[in-house]
Amino acid sequence: MIMQYSWLIPLIPVLCFTIVGFLGSKMGKKTHYGGYLVILGTAASFILSLLVTLEYTGFIGAGNYYPDAYEEHIDWFTVGNFTLTFGFYIDILACLMMLFASFISTMIFTYSLGYMGGYEDEYQLKRQRRYFAEVALFLTGMLGLAVSSTLLEMFIFWEIMGLCSYLLIGFWSFNHPEGDDKADNAASAAKKAFLVTRMGDVCLMGGLFILFFAMNGHLEYTYVFNVDNLAAAYSANPGLMTLASLLVFGGVIGKSAQFPLLDWLPDAMAGPTTVSALIHAATMVKAGVYLVARAYPLFLLDPNVMLVVAVIGGVTAFFAATMAMNNMNIKKVLAYSTLSQLGYMFLSLGAGGYLMASAISVEGGGIVIENIAEFTAGALGYSAGCLHMVNHAFFKALLFLCSGSVIHANGTEDMRLMGGLHKKMPKTSITMLIGCLSIAGFPFFAGFFSKDLVLDVVFELFEGNINNTELIFALLWFLGIVTAFMTAFYMFRLWFMTFMGEYRGHHCHGESPASMTVPLMILSIFAFAAGFIVVFGWEHVFTFSQVGAVANGDAISYFLVGGAGKVFEISLDPVLELFKTWKTYVTIVLVLVAIILAYLMYAKKTINPGRFNKNGKSALYRTISNRYYFPELYNQLSWKLGYDVARGVEFFDRQVIDGTVNGLSSAVVGGGDLMSKAQDGNLHTYASVVVGGIVFLFVIVLVLFGQFGGLF
Amino acid sequence: MIPIEYYLTFAAILFAIGAYGVMAKPNTLIVLMCTELMLNAANINFVAFSAFTGDVYGQVMVIMTISVAAAEVAVGIAILLNAYKVRKSTNADDLTSMRW
Repeated sequence: MIMQYSWLIPLIPVLCFTIVGFLGSKMGKKTHYGGYLVILGTAASFILSLLVTLEYTGFIGAGNYYPDAYEEHIDWFTVGNFTLTFGFYIDILACLMMLFASFISTMIFTYSLGYMGGYEDEYQLKRQRRYFAEVALFLTGMLGLAVSSTLLEMFIFWEIMGLCSYLLIGFWSFNHPEGDDKADNAASAAKKAFLVTRMGDVCLMGGLFILFFAMNGHLEYTYVFNVDNLAAAYSANPGLMTLASLLVFGGVIGKSAQFPLLDWLPDAMAGPTTVSALIHAATMVKAGVYLVARAYPLFLLDPNVMLVVAVIGGVTAFFAATMAMNNMNIKKVLAYSTLSQLGYMFLSLGAGGYLMASAISVEGGGIVIENIAEFTAGALGYSAGCLHMVNHAFFKALLFLCSGSVIHANGTEDMRLMGGLHKKMPKTSITMLIGCLSIAGFPFFAGFFSKDLVLDVVFELFEGNINNTELIFALLWFLGIVTAFMTAFYMFRLWFMTFMGEYRGHHCHGESPASMTVPLMILSIFAFAAGFIVVFGWEHVFTFSQVGAVANGDAISYFLVGGAGKVFEISLDPVLELFKTWKTYVTIVLVLVAIILAYLMYAKKTINPGRFNKNGKSALYRTISNRYYFPELYNQLSWKLGYDVARGVEFFDRQVIDGTVNGLSSAVVGGGDLMSKAQDGNLHTYASVVVGGIVFLFVIVLVLFGQFGGLF
Repeated sequence: MIPIEYYLTFAAILFAIGAYGVMAKPNTLIVLMCTELMLNAANINFVAFSAFTGDVYGQVMVIMTISVAAAEVAVGIAILLNAYKVRKSTNADDLTSMRW
């Protein structure tokens, strides 16, 4: 019914992009130069997504498609016997992605009316046209990615997002309201984001090439993620499939800013705060998580790939959290926390995937599940990762928009110039507190459920045994616990520094307009309650039944296409179990301790933070402030390596290639010059040469005849 | 009968004188006359061979050469006259503008 019109979901925003992009300036100030149209379009996309999801899960309409995927496509073009299709592919993961992406985008765009429309300057106001057009295209990228039906189509939308992130991070790369320094900063941040993600994209493209080759020229989800095809391709050439998985994950590392390509995301804070919220919550970095979740069947083929995913995730979670500990910029703290939380998602997906991959065996005929209990436990990791992605989308959008509200009112991003804002901006303060509690994993808030599920899955992997791989997972679990502690600490450090204590700034406009605070309130409800979907969740939502849809032990779960069989229900036990294990209470205690510590250090000020870092002079403090010298490393690498390579190439170009061409031409010119001296214009010279030549030839002929009796 | 070597030697000497004149004489009129000498040296060879072999082709060739030489002299004298009008000189060393 409505399902057939799923293609409208990404199409509506791209129409808005076109209309606002071309006609926005004619729409006038009243409509925020097209802002209203974009919000309307986004809301329409959201409603459509909601209807599609409801129909997919059987709440409205005739059929219940769940848990099979609904796929439709048209032929795009045909080359030889290869046909490229373009279509949409709706399963529970796609539903999930487009639901939260469009919903959060609606909130962010509404908020943007207040945030971007708050200038008195006519010129800055007119830039809303460009802003709203670009965010609409950005959303197109994300929604298109969610509903794509082939990997190539997915890649197209993936690149659209890359382009939009470049445009929006560099939104203020000229005529920055705060001066040219900021504008330069924005320009270089945009370049960095673009170039760093490009490195990942090259990997992803390489991965797609290999898959294209290994999968006999197919990139459709229905073919690539089919159990039999995967098994056949893997048995034919296991190394190739592993390489393809790793390359695809390389793309994810770039897009989701994981170790070691993590450095562009903090710099991306140079864009408008609403763009940061969009990048961190609804689009861009979530695309990486989505791709791993989407390509899960592929990654499952080799446990080592999953191990890589988990290790990268765990390491990023830890490192990013440490960098958030001492940053004074309110947006950068949030940026690092995004990196850290994304790390959790990959840790969860990787750990769960490792469990599942060890529980199956891949043979030429298909994939056989050998250990259902282990497989089910691994599926929990998949769910926990996806759940954390959704929860994170809500609370991170909320946190960024709150910080935007604070920045809007104070005109600074430095937390040292804030403080005591609770009285001046009560709505922002309360909603941000909810966001902080949620991300810190305070019991019963959204972040609590997903984060503890993640840690639970990782714990499952070593379960007290410490040898070889288990050792790695034990370390990752430990890192995860420490990260949970740090997360609670730096988030509350942020909140206490901003909203408690004395006001240290110059001026504060007070609470933001309603167009900004109302989205905050709506988002805060979700940031609090999104976790309960697990507890009271009905079976169709992204709960465990989806991932655990296992046929009688001989086919893989339902996120693989073509795994026919009955649904294997995983009950809500994992959530209830959460409260039965000591691990959960360890995390809760750690979180509480961190919050109290932050309170004592930054609100009560009974503990001086300077004691721990020698007032900012300790080596560790400086290392962290310099982001572990990552920007330095990038610079050194690009200077030493890139610049030297470029110089070498330039040398070759100038000296060898240009040299050959120039040498040839100057040899001709010089030779001509030299020879032209013979043309002195004197009749006698010419005559002498002619006669001399004749004599010479005559002598030669004579000699030849005399000596050899003939010329030939 | 005078042996053919005499004719050939005479023609060779005549040709060498002509060549020397072309190469060494500054006056272009003399150069022109020397080219005539060289042509006629060739003509003598033709006639000599014609007489000694007893066929008429050599003499036909000589008639051709003489008519072409006449035309050549006409053109040559005309060029020299014009050169003299422009340069007020027929000295070969003065007429060197066709050079690099």
